[in-house]
Amino acid sequence: MMATFYDRLGLYAPALWQGAQVTLVLCLLAMALGFVIAVLLDGLGRSSSRGWVWCSRVYVSFFRGTPLLAQLLLCFYLPSALGVDVPGSVAAVMVLALNTAAYQAQILRSGFDAIAPGQLEAAAVFGLSRRQTLLQIQLPQVLRLTLPALVSEFIDVIKVSAVISVVAVTDLMRVGQQLVAQTYRPLEVYLVAALFYLALTSILALIGRILEKRWQERHG
Amino acid sequence: MNDFLTYLPDFAHALWTTLYISLAAAAMGAVVGFGLNTLRLWLPLCAWPCRVYVWLIRGTPFLAQLFVFYFGLPVLGVTLDAVTATVLALTLYSGAYFAELFRSAWNSVPKGQLEAARVHGIGGAQIFWHIQAPQALAFCLPLLGNQVILTIKESAVASIITVPELTQTAGQIVSNTYSYVVPYTLLVLSYWLLTQAVGLGAAWLAQRATRYQKG
Repeated sequence: MMATFYDRLGLYAPALWQGAQVTLVLCLLAMALGFVIAVLLDGLGRSSSRGWVWCSRVYVSFFRGTPLLAQLLLCFYLPSALGVDVPGSVAAVMVLALNTAAYQAQILRSGFDAIAPGQLEAAAVFGLSRRQTLLQIQLPQVLRLTLPALVSEFIDVIKVSAVISVVAVTDLMRVGQQLVAQTYRPLEVYLVAALFYLALTSILALIGRILEKRWQERHG
Repeated sequence: MNDFLTYLPDFAHALWTTLYISLAAAAMGAVVGFGLNTLRLWLPLCAWPCRVYVWLIRGTPFLAQLFVFYFGLPVLGVTLDAVTATVLALTLYSGAYFAELFRSAWNSVPKGQLEAARVHGIGGAQIFWHIQAPQALAFCLPLLGNQVILTIKESAVASIITVPELTQTAGQIVSNTYSYVVPYTLLVLSYWLLTQAVGLGAAWLAQRATRYQKG
């Protein structure tokens, strides 16, 4: 019998903090990878070929229209059916990235739309390549414009990432389950784990609001 | 493949389970959300408890909430079976999102219209029924479909506490037949069709309900 709740909290907190770091790192990787995929998706969506536009639409509709858990099961077990073993954490980052890319593509679209077409014409006149224009002219502006929306997407990724615990990734949720198995105190452990998530998402929401305010002060 | 065909009835049944769990939770969640928003408008004292509720629910993963209900509540002497725990947790979860939706719908009606109506001597009930309610409804109808889709997608998490819905059943078929590809492909396709159908249905409904606006 462990004495008080505060003593037990001393056991939970370091373990959950470890799990929270895993959750944060995996979600950050997924966000970054998802951003790259989203930029490609946006490019496809603007292509003059109808087939590519259709592909990007189907992609977005598919990943937004199905549960992350189902996507995860498909991506985790499909390679092993083909004889390739994918570690849980790799499958988790892949699926989270593919999933968030669909949402980020929609966010980025409004960002790309907001850039005046004159800028692209000017860049072309100055002899900048398509790649240079994208990396040096469009992306910095898009990133600044959509940063608050991307932060709130990051919050969503952290929340949906809780299900990656089913493929044996020791993220925050998984650590919670392990602690329950050790202590047989599901109520308080899951509540404390939920508080850890709440702290992560609230801090990020605060950062998002500060960024938005700054942006409005400078440009509003 | 033949193996799989024998499981098709199970799969169809599971599809039905997913549908009724999420539709029941979404319907009750809409009531909870509407109640919260009404409470907030009538009793300003309740405004901040409502906000704390929305913050708690929207700031944590649904899986964590479900675990608190299913594994945590028995500690307090309240034992719920998996389906009840899921419907309850999913109701409270979607309730917070509905509350936010109704709040923004309510705020979308310009304050100037209310002032103008009052100046013209229109009564409170009339203002509500003829000015605020129709516009708030027109605002939230196209977004209601998204809420239902969100609820359907979250319901997949219930498979982790062994609710026999789509995802759990697909997993069951996988462990019985040792083939991953067909059941899991069918799983994502079923969800996709389901959410597409709900999206189209909601869009059609929203268009019908707001016909008068387009004149």
